[in-house]
Amino acid sequence: MMTMSEKMKEVPGIYLRDAELKAKDAITFKWRPNAKYVWAGGIAYSRYLEELKNGRIIGRHCSECERILVPPRMFCDKCFRATDEWVYVKDTGTINTYSVSYLDADANRIKEPILVAVIELDGASEGIGILHYVDPKVDPKDLHVGMRLKAVWKPEKERTGSVTDIAYFEPIKEG
Amino acid sequence: MSFDKNTNPLKLHHVIGDMEADYIYTPGIAGDKFFKTLRDEGKFLATHCESCDHTYLPPRMYCERCFLKLDKWIEAESTGVVDTFTLVSEDSNGDKLTEPVLVAFIRIDKTNGGVIHKLGGIDAESAKVGMKVKAVLKDKSKRTGGLTDIAHFTPQ
Repeated sequence: MMTMSEKMKEVPGIYLRDAELKAKDAITFKWRPNAKYVWAGGIAYSRYLEELKNGRIIGRHCSECERILVPPRMFCDKCFRATDEWVYVKDTGTINTYSVSYLDADANRIKEPILVAVIELDGASEGIGILHYVDPKVDPKDLHVGMRLKAVWKPEKERTGSVTDIAYFEPIKEG
Repeated sequence: MSFDKNTNPLKLHHVIGDMEADYIYTPGIAGDKFFKTLRDEGKFLATHCESCDHTYLPPRMYCERCFLKLDKWIEAESTGVVDTFTLVSEDSNGDKLTEPVLVAFIRIDKTNGGVIHKLGGIDAESAKVGMKVKAVLKDKSKRTGGLTDIAHFTPQ
């Protein structure tokens, strides 16, 4: 316990307990501040999101390290120089890593797991991937690193220029 | 290549989000009693420190001057005097109000405290510092246990 001075050894009063705060007859004031934020995509990410509306995935090429960055960046994080040109990559790719989550975005426990994976898109450089959902119909046991996937796009009218314009990735059937 | 400088995020592809920073405020033990009495009985409670001869409204559990525990509760009047006032034309988000609101600090009679509240039944031109006012409470069925259980203060 906090010591206040020689004379006062304890903080006067009673510490608040959660149960008291939540008691039905307790006077409380609940409030949500009107605090908004704006997240801006920047030059590269803005183009990337706009291209998703058209059903295309775009990246940036660095001619120094010969890498294709997806999502695109105007600056190469390896060479510390401006990237050089826009390149489209395919909407197919390979699982780099994945997770089977029994928690939703608000950390609530859920019965049906959410499948997420980092997918290295065909045309992007090795080790460069985007995080996205995998088709919820896929059996979690069948997920594996190296699995081949293809984007399932939302209908054009429903696209808003967001990564969720791709609904999820589904396995590519062999043969 | 060069980059165009842009300081307005709204010109770019952007997302507007809501910060879910909810909070619960508790007025404490003394405040709890104050608001419940206001809600249920329509009365203003205050605490009195005998050694300092100071009356707290809103009530305090401890004297801010001598740190004595205060357990002498008194019923204050619901009348007071305008200490200062202002005409508010914007809400707390900075948006223009359709009708400006008169807001005053009202010293409650026979206490050393007061409340900040709206003035009603009076226009800005006739409001004066030193003016005697009384609280107009909301109908009992509409009270929720808060300072808004007082509709406004109006000239006596």
